[in-house]
Amino acid sequence: MTVGQISETAQRPRSAARTGSARSTDLPRGSMTARRHRAFYMFTSPWITGFLLLTVGPMAYALWLSFTTFDGISPHWRYVGLGNYRELLSDPVTWDALSRAGVFAITSVPLSIIAGLALAVLVNRPIKARGLFRTLLYLPAVVPPVGAGLIFKQLFNRDSGAANGVLHVVGINAVAWLDDPYARYVILMAVLWGAGNVMIISLAGLQDVPRELHEAARIDGASAWRTFRSITVPLLSPVLLFQAVTGMIASVQTIMPLLIAPLPTPAGVTAIPQTNYMYMMHVFAEYFALGRYGYASALLWVLFVLILIVTGLIFKATSGVVFYNVDPEAKK
Amino acid sequence: MHSQAGAPVSRRRFVALSAAGAAAGAASLSGCALQVAGAATGGGESITMMAKLDDVSADLIRQAQKELGIKITVVQDDITRLISMLTSGNPPDLVRGVGALDAPYFAARGVAENLDPYFARSTVLKVDDLAPANDLWRYDGRTQGKGPRYGMAKDFSQDAMFWYNTALFDKAGVDYPSETEPITFEEWLDSARRLVQRKNGQTTVYGGSYNGLGLGILFTNLTAAAGGSLFSEDFSRVDFTTPEARRALTWYLDYARTKVGPSLIQPNPDAWDGPTYVADRMAMSGAGYWLGGMINAEPKVAEVSRLAPAPVFRGGPRLSSCQGATGMWMPKKARDKDAAWRVFEWFFGEAPAKARAEGGWGIPSLKSLQPLMPHKEDYQKRVLKVQEAELKHFSVTPFTPYIKWDALEALINQVIPAAMNGRISVDTLVGRLNSVVNEQMKRGKEQVG
Repeated sequence: MTVGQISETAQRPRSAARTGSARSTDLPRGSMTARRHRAFYMFTSPWITGFLLLTVGPMAYALWLSFTTFDGISPHWRYVGLGNYRELLSDPVTWDALSRAGVFAITSVPLSIIAGLALAVLVNRPIKARGLFRTLLYLPAVVPPVGAGLIFKQLFNRDSGAANGVLHVVGINAVAWLDDPYARYVILMAVLWGAGNVMIISLAGLQDVPRELHEAARIDGASAWRTFRSITVPLLSPVLLFQAVTGMIASVQTIMPLLIAPLPTPAGVTAIPQTNYMYMMHVFAEYFALGRYGYASALLWVLFVLILIVTGLIFKATSGVVFYNVDPEAKK
Repeated sequence: MHSQAGAPVSRRRFVALSAAGAAAGAASLSGCALQVAGAATGGGESITMMAKLDDVSADLIRQAQKELGIKITVVQDDITRLISMLTSGNPPDLVRGVGALDAPYFAARGVAENLDPYFARSTVLKVDDLAPANDLWRYDGRTQGKGPRYGMAKDFSQDAMFWYNTALFDKAGVDYPSETEPITFEEWLDSARRLVQRKNGQTTVYGGSYNGLGLGILFTNLTAAAGGSLFSEDFSRVDFTTPEARRALTWYLDYARTKVGPSLIQPNPDAWDGPTYVADRMAMSGAGYWLGGMINAEPKVAEVSRLAPAPVFRGGPRLSSCQGATGMWMPKKARDKDAAWRVFEWFFGEAPAKARAEGGWGIPSLKSLQPLMPHKEDYQKRVLKVQEAELKHFSVTPFTPYIKWDALEALINQVIPAAMNGRISVDTLVGRLNSVVNEQMKRGKEQVG
């Protein structure tokens, strides 16, 4: 039952009679609407309060900071207007870090969606111990990022890691995985390792695809690939769009490079291999190593606006190819 | 306009009510924090201490409550949390800090309490009894080592001294370094080259480790050992182009490039020297006497371990600096300074200080506690003799108040790997270091005012 349907049911006088609430049926329509409004606001107010307190408040504070030279401690900070924003426009480190984050998003998001979808298709088949496979494949996704970072750091350590142990068995010399140019691949592997998240959402989407459509296609002689391409993917497109958008937002904000860094500290963040020195690493360094709260806040606000723009562009670019089962305009 | 009973709540009114709720929530949250402290004061005093859990164990907290009647709430040592607490006007009462690096920074910004009046009236911590390393916690507004005291070291080491494993020296057929006369940095590196063991591109035994407490403080001290100063006279600028600073940098780049020990381009999987050294996977460790606490706990390792004086540069002065002097300071806005000082006295001069002295984790910061240093076993006597001789060469290398040490560290970390990997020359490196560090120091100077 959709939200719209629930709302519709609630408006029917019959539903009130069924619950045995005679008083509800006696109330004038305006009073019921008021009660519904009040109930809605009562139920949502904890979230709204939290949103104002923990999201809007800090964002406003960060916006104010972005116009200052505040460093958290020193007494003589001052307003610089748009100075921090002007500086970041001409800061090559910022642009390099942003472009690396962009390249990472462009590569990691499609890869994780493809990997997650492939896994979902596999575990959607009627195979033995399907539940066990689903659990095992999803398991890495519940490992906290800090734990995952430590695991990858140990696995790929040059001198003591299992990855080089395997290479040693086949007679290949040790590789410095956590240094350039290999470090970027370790990060991609860490992303793919957590593809269970994408899998579980895709699996839910796959199970929503009407079986009769597949049967009709099979009767018409369509191959499995054609069925997947022409039926499954279009029906999954809203799910894939959701994953693309949330994946993009998460990937440009990734902190995984810091978690596998040799020194995962404020002072050590800048020692991250160049290819992994992405935008959030730069923000972290400016905040916590250099104490440039104003400049770092400006960096975050620019990222926020960029994410809004890119999300808007993704929606615009995919508006013709995403197929919604329920017309989103219908209930307006 | 008053809304009628039963009328729908308008969106605008709802947002206004939510904002009021959020403000009330924020107020009640801060009220909660105050209430906790206030309630504790009624039934005995209470302080908040920002420390590492190793510094103040649960047993110590119980002991403090029993002996002093003061409840200690420990918050994990974290610079970001400290800044949040300072900014919100609710700082800890005592804060862990590295005297050599933090003292001028916090003192110059006026957030640290001058402890001279407290020392003057203390019967536990007497100024005459303070080891010279405590001078790293002094700052007169211009120079470190002079002026009021803003904190105290819990213990200290002469951090350029190094430990070596005689079994690994024997295995490689390398002569032991002298325990009385310093070897040169060049000799140290030559020994490390001969001691390192590799297999299939992996380092199985590090020849030596020489990274100090961080590259910023290491270069400050190496430059001093080469006979110069990394900072200008007024501490407002760095100059990596001087012959002494270049000599220090060049030596360290050789160390990193030859990959005889851990560095940014060859990180130690154990993250620091201690576990690697006691696992017989490191022949030399430039960690100072302090590492003895860990070595003493492993008698087999202790028996083959020796401590050597701080190396010198050929033709340079003999210096043996303390690069840490880790201890505590008291924020100016601490809520209960008297209770904080009582805990301070207890932590630095009573039972916890005695326990630390007996453990061998550094040299006690009170001269009167130094006889408690481990000296029962032969190997302990041997190490103690070397350490006592080295104290004659104790030195302080002043640090600038205009840059936080982790900022200096971060900037060096950002630039130096390219030089370690041979992608940029030393000339390019010193130019870049001067540029980025001086820019940050300029901002720092402006903010100190």
